Amino acid sequence: MIPILYYYLWVAPHVLLGGVLFLMVRRQVHRQFPMFFLYATWEISQFAVLFAIHLSNFHFGAGYQRAYLVGLALSTAIRFEVIYELFRHFFHRYPALTGPGRFLFRGTTVLLLVIAVGLAISAPGSAADQISHATTYSSLKATTFALDRAVTILQCGLLMSLFVFSRYFALSWRSNAFGIALGLGAFASVELATSAMRLYFSSNTFNTFFDFSNMATYHFCVLVWMFYLLAPERKPHYALQPLPEDDLEIWNRELQRLIQQ
Amino acid sequence: MTITLILVCVALLALVLLLSLAKGQASSPKVLENPREHIRSVDVEAFRNLMDPDEKEFLRTRLRPAEFRKIQRERLRAAADYVSCAAGNAAVLLRLGEAARRSPDPATVAAADKLVDNAIRLRFYAFQALARLYVGMLLPGVRVSPVRIAESYEQMTRLVVLLGCLQYPTRGVSAALLAD
Repeated sequence: MIPILYYYLWVAPHVLLGGVLFLMVRRQVHRQFPMFFLYATWEISQFAVLFAIHLSNFHFGAGYQRAYLVGLALSTAIRFEVIYELFRHFFHRYPALTGPGRFLFRGTTVLLLVIAVGLAISAPGSAADQISHATTYSSLKATTFALDRAVTILQCGLLMSLFVFSRYFALSWRSNAFGIALGLGAFASVELATSAMRLYFSSNTFNTFFDFSNMATYHFCVLVWMFYLLAPERKPHYALQPLPEDDLEIWNRELQRLIQQ
Repeated sequence: MTITLILVCVALLALVLLLSLAKGQASSPKVLENPREHIRSVDVEAFRNLMDPDEKEFLRTRLRPAEFRKIQRERLRAAADYVSCAAGNAAVLLRLGEAARRSPDPATVAAADKLVDNAIRLRFYAFQALARLYVGMLLPGVRVSPVRIAESYEQMTRLVVLLGCLQYPTRGVSAALLAD
């Protein structure tokens, strides 16, 4: 049962991601979000390579691990670009936001970087220690987990700051952008929790559980992306209501009189 | 272990935030169904009066220090309420402006763009001004002068009027905005 579920959670999201790419091209969304398009393309390519290695050897050997780590590093870098693309999407739609938006993006990045580096240094069997004694596979794995945690803190923090920022400024999201951010945000949140726990619960049983959680969340994210690409863009419906002129003037006079007393 | 627990809690909070946002995105914003109910009147002159440094100096010379601090705190609290109110109105106007951007009339679109820009600026200034006003409440002697808020609010109000006139020239200045 577990191998079937494992293969399903490994293969299905990438097949669906192919559908996401198709929808993006068909709806011309790939021009608005080229980095996300690149991310989805990269994820599928990475999957194809890893799956081929896995099938050829039928085990997860050293070749597989190397390909996985390279793929993970590139995928993480592209995900940062996708997040910045979402920020840029808002700057483009609301030119007045460019100044405060860039300040927020840079400020949040620096703050999160400090937190992430601080936590990486203080992690059990810290990354620095692990690198100096990096002779075994387990130490490499622990280093990867520590780095993974630092990266997810950054990504989760940036995405949450984007959501809080848009909420404070009462900005409306285009459904495609919202779908991308929601999927990435959900994935980053779950990854943050699992990457934090991996450093303390390192037995195989726990690792299998964390792997399944991440894979299931990724599957969910791909479904979210697909849903928001399929859903039609909602146009706001407004009804004209004349403002109560008399009320406003009366209140203004009353307030002025009250303050001038 | 404490750090792990904190990070897990942060991750859970982030998920809750995402869920609430997804729910909010799915439902139609009530503010837009009847914007009148959500726009509250803000008296710019009253706000300027509260922020007037001469007025402050006058109170400082007339009142005992303890009394002055108490009064100044009250004045700043009221000013903060005004700013919050103006910022709330800006949020409503921003949404209305965004809808007006879909108008086929280029003049309406231009006015709506300007309204959106001013509403965003006002919310940005309001964020800074509120921070300064709250600091002022803690330290009533500190000089705070968020007069830019008043200017920005006045400018935005003029734009709303312009937008109303462009869309509904026959209804006069007080006509509210937007139809589909």
